[in-house]
Amino acid sequence: MLKRTLIGLMSLLVIGGAGFAALAWRPAIAPITPPAASSFAPDLIARGEVLAGAGYCATCHTAPGGAPYAGGYAMQTGFGTIYSTNITPDPQTGIGAWSEDAFRRAMHEGVARDGSHLFPAFPYDHFTRLTDADVAALYAYMMTRTPVRAAPHENGLPFPLNLRPLQAGWKLLFFRPGRYVEQPERGAAWNRGAYLAEGISHCGACHTPRNALGAEERGNAFAGAPIDHWVAPPLTKANPSPVPWSQDELAAYLRRGVSRFHGVAAGPMSPVVHDGLARLPDADIAALGVYFADVGQAAARAAEAQPAIERALAVNAHGPGLPYDPIARLYAAACASCHFNGGGQVNALRPDLALNSAVSLADPTNLIRVMLYGVTAREGAPGIVMPGFAPALSDADIARIAAYLRASRTSHPAWPDLEKTVAAVRAQGRGQE
Amino acid sequence: MARRMNPGAPVLTRRGFLVASVGAGVGASLAFGFPRGAAAAMDPAVPGGMPPAETEPLFEPTLWFVIDGEGWVTVNIIRAEMGQHVGTALARILADELGADWGKVRILHVDTDPKWGLMVTGGSWSVWQSFPLFSRAGAAGRVALIEQGAKLLGVDPSACRVENGTVFAGGASIAFGEIARRGALDRRFSAEEIEALPIKPASERRLVGRPVQALDIPPKTDGTARYGIDAKVPGMVYARPKIPPTRNGAKVNGVDDSAAKAVKGYVGSLVLDDPSGTVPGWVMVIAQSYPAAIRAADLVRVDWTPGPTSAVSEKDIQDHAAQLIAQPDAGAVLDTGGGDTAAAFKAAQSTLEQTYTTATVLHFQLEPVNALAFEKDGVFEIHTGNQWQSLILPTLAKALGRPETGIVLRTYLIGGGFGRRLNGDYAVPAALAAKALGKPVKMVLTREDDARFDSPRSPSVQRLRMAFGAGGEVTAMEHDAAAGWPSQVMTPSLMPKGANGVLYDPFSISGADHWYSVGAQKVRAISNDLANTAFRPGWLRSVGPGWTNWALESFMDEAAHHAKEDPVAFRLKLLDAKGRNAGSAPNAVGGALRQAEVVRRAAARAGWGVPLPAGTALGLATSFGQERDMPTWIACVARVRVDRASGVVRAEKLTLVADAGTVVDPDGARAQVEGAALWGLSLALHEGTVFERGQVKDTNLNSYMPLRISDVPQMDISFVDSIEVPVGLGEPATTVVGPAIGNAIFNAIGARLRHIPITPDAVRSAIG
Amino acid sequence: MIRFTLNGRATMVDVDDDTPLLWVIRDEIGLTGTKFGCGIGMCGACTVHVGGRATRSCITAAGSVEGAEVTTIEGLDPHGAHPVQTAWKDLQVPQCGYCQSGQIMQAVALLKDFPHPSDEEIDTVMTGNLCRCMTYVRIRAAIRKAAEANHG
Repeated sequence: MLKRTLIGLMSLLVIGGAGFAALAWRPAIAPITPPAASSFAPDLIARGEVLAGAGYCATCHTAPGGAPYAGGYAMQTGFGTIYSTNITPDPQTGIGAWSEDAFRRAMHEGVARDGSHLFPAFPYDHFTRLTDADVAALYAYMMTRTPVRAAPHENGLPFPLNLRPLQAGWKLLFFRPGRYVEQPERGAAWNRGAYLAEGISHCGACHTPRNALGAEERGNAFAGAPIDHWVAPPLTKANPSPVPWSQDELAAYLRRGVSRFHGVAAGPMSPVVHDGLARLPDADIAALGVYFADVGQAAARAAEAQPAIERALAVNAHGPGLPYDPIARLYAAACASCHFNGGGQVNALRPDLALNSAVSLADPTNLIRVMLYGVTAREGAPGIVMPGFAPALSDADIARIAAYLRASRTSHPAWPDLEKTVAAVRAQGRGQE
Repeated sequence: MARRMNPGAPVLTRRGFLVASVGAGVGASLAFGFPRGAAAAMDPAVPGGMPPAETEPLFEPTLWFVIDGEGWVTVNIIRAEMGQHVGTALARILADELGADWGKVRILHVDTDPKWGLMVTGGSWSVWQSFPLFSRAGAAGRVALIEQGAKLLGVDPSACRVENGTVFAGGASIAFGEIARRGALDRRFSAEEIEALPIKPASERRLVGRPVQALDIPPKTDGTARYGIDAKVPGMVYARPKIPPTRNGAKVNGVDDSAAKAVKGYVGSLVLDDPSGTVPGWVMVIAQSYPAAIRAADLVRVDWTPGPTSAVSEKDIQDHAAQLIAQPDAGAVLDTGGGDTAAAFKAAQSTLEQTYTTATVLHFQLEPVNALAFEKDGVFEIHTGNQWQSLILPTLAKALGRPETGIVLRTYLIGGGFGRRLNGDYAVPAALAAKALGKPVKMVLTREDDARFDSPRSPSVQRLRMAFGAGGEVTAMEHDAAAGWPSQVMTPSLMPKGANGVLYDPFSISGADHWYSVGAQKVRAISNDLANTAFRPGWLRSVGPGWTNWALESFMDEAAHHAKEDPVAFRLKLLDAKGRNAGSAPNAVGGALRQAEVVRRAAARAGWGVPLPAGTALGLATSFGQERDMPTWIACVARVRVDRASGVVRAEKLTLVADAGTVVDPDGARAQVEGAALWGLSLALHEGTVFERGQVKDTNLNSYMPLRISDVPQMDISFVDSIEVPVGLGEPATTVVGPAIGNAIFNAIGARLRHIPITPDAVRSAIG
Repeated sequence: MIRFTLNGRATMVDVDDDTPLLWVIRDEIGLTGTKFGCGIGMCGACTVHVGGRATRSCITAAGSVEGAEVTTIEGLDPHGAHPVQTAWKDLQVPQCGYCQSGQIMQAVALLKDFPHPSDEEIDTVMTGNLCRCMTYVRIRAAIRKAAEANHG
């Protein structure tokens, strides 16, 4: 998910000199007649389909209500709006004229068939880790889609940021091409998880902070970052969830969109789970769990889990709260019917707010967004809904409840300027799903 | 609620009111043969409320019920169903006397028609007023059925008895349905015959006092019960009002709906021209769907010149009340048996004076007020739930410029009355809009609109004084109460005169004219004219005693402590049933002795005098319900736990004992006491708002926080077995809970609270 | 066009995504058992089930139930004889009845999560459902009775 990606065109300012033109120029690869679908082995196409899912290709390359992979999805960036391209095998407007070499070069090096540089909104900095075999499978899958005639949408980038050759400078600074390198001592599952996470699923694209030029900070992998008016939480040991993200919790969350001890996949993470990773076999999901449990150092924190759950249940045991605290009553009437847990158990479908990641994050954005706009039946835990309180409660009331949760359910410091933050999130609107 | 039938007629006592109702009902109807005519009346026992068809021929010996050819007995109910299961209770009275088979009894809540006489549901009056009426109607039917049945069986009427919908004569029998099919259906009764009708003794009752499942309950569990908000007709448009900045006197200068035009389904905005003056300054926002009307109304900008009260605050209203109380000549003095209180206070060994206040309270009935209005076949139909059809019909006639006979109020279930729907003002804007647009208009208020348009319970100020003689005995008492007066605003012609010739609102002082023997007694009712202008004061569950008894029973406790007596013993001593407190037949047999008895029983059941943990204590309060001439004797002991540090008061248990005479529907009676008591608790600890800049401050549940399930204490409710006249139960329990809690708080921590709702802040500052 | 399943039937409505589900159910589809109380999700009168979970329909955008299964009081049981409804009738819970569709829908959902609910569980989960007639004593009792009926 690279919708927010900042585009590193500012590199223009730091790159100079005559050699630049040479660097910026890449040869075109000759167009081809689109290969017949029958020229691809069915099992290769099937493998490509799984990978296309795991890379959420459709999420960014499909406009709302548009034909799959035909592009036109608008990505708001700090530099302007750019639109995803048509990657159906239409020879004129899509990638029908691309040979497998051209496709591989795009994936591994971020260069289009005509030799122009692609914007890093296309996460080639991750796809470069993919094996040739996986790229071939993706190629087979894409080239066997229904071609759609859909001219690419003009990007809304101002001059000179719209100059593609300048991308070369950005690459020089930040792009490290190369295939994934196995670390045999970590075991097969870990390596599989790392390969998926760092490669096709490009998790860092959202969860790794970016520098001023929009590149992922290499020394800060998975440290958490803002994304599309949400917060992608840290996946490292800095993750503040009271219950550490164990391998099993991660696997449950990535498989079903629900973690009993953390919450549901909302916002931009929802399509990752429900539209993307859904195609991966359980073994791959488990591998992602192994990898991220290690990234988050869950094993070292394992002892924290049970006490955190007990603390949460103890908060629940206060029941409807103090009888005359107006904020506790507000919470009891508006929230507790669904969020209360009892009987010594945490029910995954009663997201426990003493455990929920959104309440513990340093930034209240995710909590506020969910309170205001809810979670649809297609997001989060599939088929169920959290209604949004945007039309019902004022900024002040939303802020009061958020502050109450923060104070009563965590030991973290209070969020400053909550009401202002609520107003800001409300002003941003719900956004596209 | 009306004390008399119409302006110009003499003021009626409750007893007189009953006779008048009988006059309009049984007396006239026994002349047989009224047309059915109840085209859209509502049967709450069937899905959607649509009454089942009756099988001809119909036998209709009185206005109040009909027997069809298959033996179904349909009882006509003029009372509104709002949770009291009133139709079931009334039908049980009639069916019992008639000898009907309960399994073949239906109830029909009728639409307005002059033939029904006064239509009002409130004051906990329904059973009390209807018991004699429906008993006689049932008896008349029984006599007629026996006469016809005997003829058909060829036996002497004296050989017949009626049971289970059948007339028996020795081994022979004939069912009601067959009598309806074959009998001569023209029996008439003279006035003398009606008076002489044989009424069953209590020992022969088969239905009254026995458990029954209320007929309206099943549809209320499966979504098929039909309320006013569910009414619809083809081609209707939806309306949501723009509520003006003041309830009275607002004028519309202009409407800007340019932003609303972007809302899909928005039709237009209508400035109402209201000849009845009910809804000044109203603008109706019309749309094709209700969500569109909500959205559009948010975007419509109205420029108003507000009425003169646009800056009024709660404090302004209460300060004004206190000033009025300080004027010795203000208000009406009730006839409480006289005595020179001034002299008694002069001669007193000691005196006690305290002032008590209550906050503005919203009805917050869960179904926001709404109405569907349209003209059809020359008649203006208003589809809405309403508690006092006879009050709003003349107003609607004035608003629409047509006679009352050209208007009918269709009957629906009420999603919460509590007195809000006694004031049918909400029917007017829907009717005006329908008239202006020439098409059906369904108006629904949002919750916030409903709160701002509520007829809230007025805030009140009361000053109580007591004089004690040398031996500590009570020698005199004065009670001054100032509040907004619903009757003055809505039914001024129905106000009685006080002993000093000043008109007063009985529903804003009842409860102060208590059954304690206190020597010289003066009760003064004062209208708060600022409240009457700033809003439309309303009747709210338990009406006057809901707040007068807060003051009275808190004060009686203070008086007991002043006299260094146990609060229970102090009360029992004053409830001596002497003089005017001796009681009288039929309604108040036993007088204050019956009140003393419920006090004694409640204290005993609750363990009065048994030590409790620190911070926990009992408090007692009692009342006679709504009115001296219809006393429901009730007492409550509250057990509270007070946390001194936070000031939080937790009601742990309520013990209630009621003597309501004959209990027609035991389970229904218990339900009414449960609900009424919890209302009392909500008013004592949870509910209340304030006026701010001419409007109520709290308009929805984010800040208005009534009692919820987690606040419900343990409840111990019991009734005194009685065959006395049945009296009301919908409200009396509300009146005792607040003062019982205030008294318990005092007993727990020694701090006296004199304002409800009682907040933790108030408790902390009372502790000092 | 929004598609979802309502009381087991495939349903399609042509309303804006942000139209509250409550009005879609009441006015577009015509099932009026679900009630409008506060409009801000704090009284519970509008409670329906979405995916089997109690949901306040007055603040639920119609678009958010796309593809979901919605159940209203009318769809709880074909004969109105769900154990919770039966307990409600047996104990004569409703007074005015206006909130009771929501109370029943919430209680059914409560018993799914808490088959043997404690007093605290009943109180906390039911606290979002206001009853102005204050039938709370009976609501508690009926939930316990329905729980017993469920488990024999």
